Amino acid sequence: MKTSFFRHLVRQAIRNILQNRLVHLIGLGTMVIAFLVFDAFLLAFLNLDSWTREQGRSLTMSIYFKGEPKSSVIEDIRELLLQYPVSITKLISKDEAMKSLKKQLGDRAGLLRGLEENPLPASLEIILLRDVREDSLPYELKAKLEGINGVDEVQYSREWIERVRSIMGAVEIVGLVFGGLLFLAALFIITNTIKLTIYSRKDEIEILKLVGATNRFVKIPFIIEGSIQGFLGGLIALTILFLLYMAITAKVDLRIGFASLDIVFISPPFILVLLLMSTLTGFVGSAVSLGRFFKL
Amino acid sequence: MIRLYHVYKSFGANTALVDISMTVEKGEFVFVTGPSGAGKTTLLKIIFSAEKPTSGHALVSGRNLSRIKDRELSLLRRKIGVVFQDFKLLPRRTVLENVALSLEVTGVPSPMIRKKVHQTLRNLALVGKEEYYPPQLSGGEQQRVAIARAIVNNPLILLADEPTGNLDHDLTVEIMALLREIHSRGTTVIVATHSQELLRGTRRRIITLSRGRMV
Repeated sequence: MKTSFFRHLVRQAIRNILQNRLVHLIGLGTMVIAFLVFDAFLLAFLNLDSWTREQGRSLTMSIYFKGEPKSSVIEDIRELLLQYPVSITKLISKDEAMKSLKKQLGDRAGLLRGLEENPLPASLEIILLRDVREDSLPYELKAKLEGINGVDEVQYSREWIERVRSIMGAVEIVGLVFGGLLFLAALFIITNTIKLTIYSRKDEIEILKLVGATNRFVKIPFIIEGSIQGFLGGLIALTILFLLYMAITAKVDLRIGFASLDIVFISPPFILVLLLMSTLTGFVGSAVSLGRFFKL
Repeated sequence: MIRLYHVYKSFGANTALVDISMTVEKGEFVFVTGPSGAGKTTLLKIIFSAEKPTSGHALVSGRNLSRIKDRELSLLRRKIGVVFQDFKLLPRRTVLENVALSLEVTGVPSPMIRKKVHQTLRNLALVGKEEYYPPQLSGGEQQRVAIARAIVNNPLILLADEPTGNLDHDLTVEIMALLREIHSRGTTVIVATHSQELLRGTRRRIITLSRGRMV
């Protein structure tokens, strides 16, 4: 009895959609646009966020030695670094440093000729793998490394970290505020669209109530309709966004400075979340609109 | 079956009903009459609780309509069939679907619904019109569909607001015969009408309203 009742309501909802095609199509179109704007923003935000994070991850540190480093010093460093998420790129000896400097100077390498001994320190380059924003790792590591006998100085760009950090902060704040506003706008538009579909059928609701339909009987098909509409709206918006994404990435080579920016589409788990969210928006939107309607 | 105690109803500054007290017993057939604007429709609306009294009480089938809960009201309305003056048929549903509505809301299984709807349509000479939409029907046919919807679930009470208002003489006679037949099966019937023709020679009780008061 219960399941047949529910089946009846679902059937009713689908029939209502088909019978009120035009109103539903207008509503669906509005929803698609609202979701598309939100999804496009999300895509841009997620990519920008992951890009800035990527920048934060690739922090390079240089460890400078007093004189030519002994193998025991290198060993000490290796041992210390085992505890940290870093990778060692290469050891640059004093000679190698000089060679590379000469190469950089090119024609003006003659300037170095007057030097009696090689003043350049040997160095070791390491790359930090962890998100620099999350802890004071670079500071801590610098202090520990400089405590090792034979290490002269550890250098990295504090400014770079600070800059990445502030960009990430800004991106996230703007993202949250703007995304939140966009979502509210979408919710507002959708709720009103659903309200219009309901108003367009207020005679039907009145008659149903007069022949003894319970509130549940009247409301459930509308809520199912709203949810179906929300799901379809979300799905169509994502499909359009994906097609746009394919078209854009195939034609345009996006570069920011030297780093090429690979735009990645919204990940499958996120897509599921978005679909769920759009369905829920339809569900909540119709429930809220109906609540207001039934108070009239 | 129906009891009204000192019922007043006003819409803003307009007074529709003034101090109405009346009783309709189970199985009675009552006419409510009076000129347009006398309050006939409002009185019927009070009885099926489409309007609440501004003051006073209305009891239907033992329920006080001033205090009834939503769900109880839905259940009560299933016992009251209403034929509206403007029919209130859904234009985008077929005759069959319109009539089935009264049964669908009660959760009756589909095969039973079809059976009862066909039977009712047969009684009202609407066989062959099942798949028509209301706008495709004549006024008299729409009137009969509205009656079919009101009686298909064998209500205890049938309220008819100007059920012959749009009909010619022959159809009026036919519809009245139908209402009498429904009444003969034990249904309490209240017919609101301004038509003197309908009342001529009747031995039924007549409640006359004038400017919202019983006279």
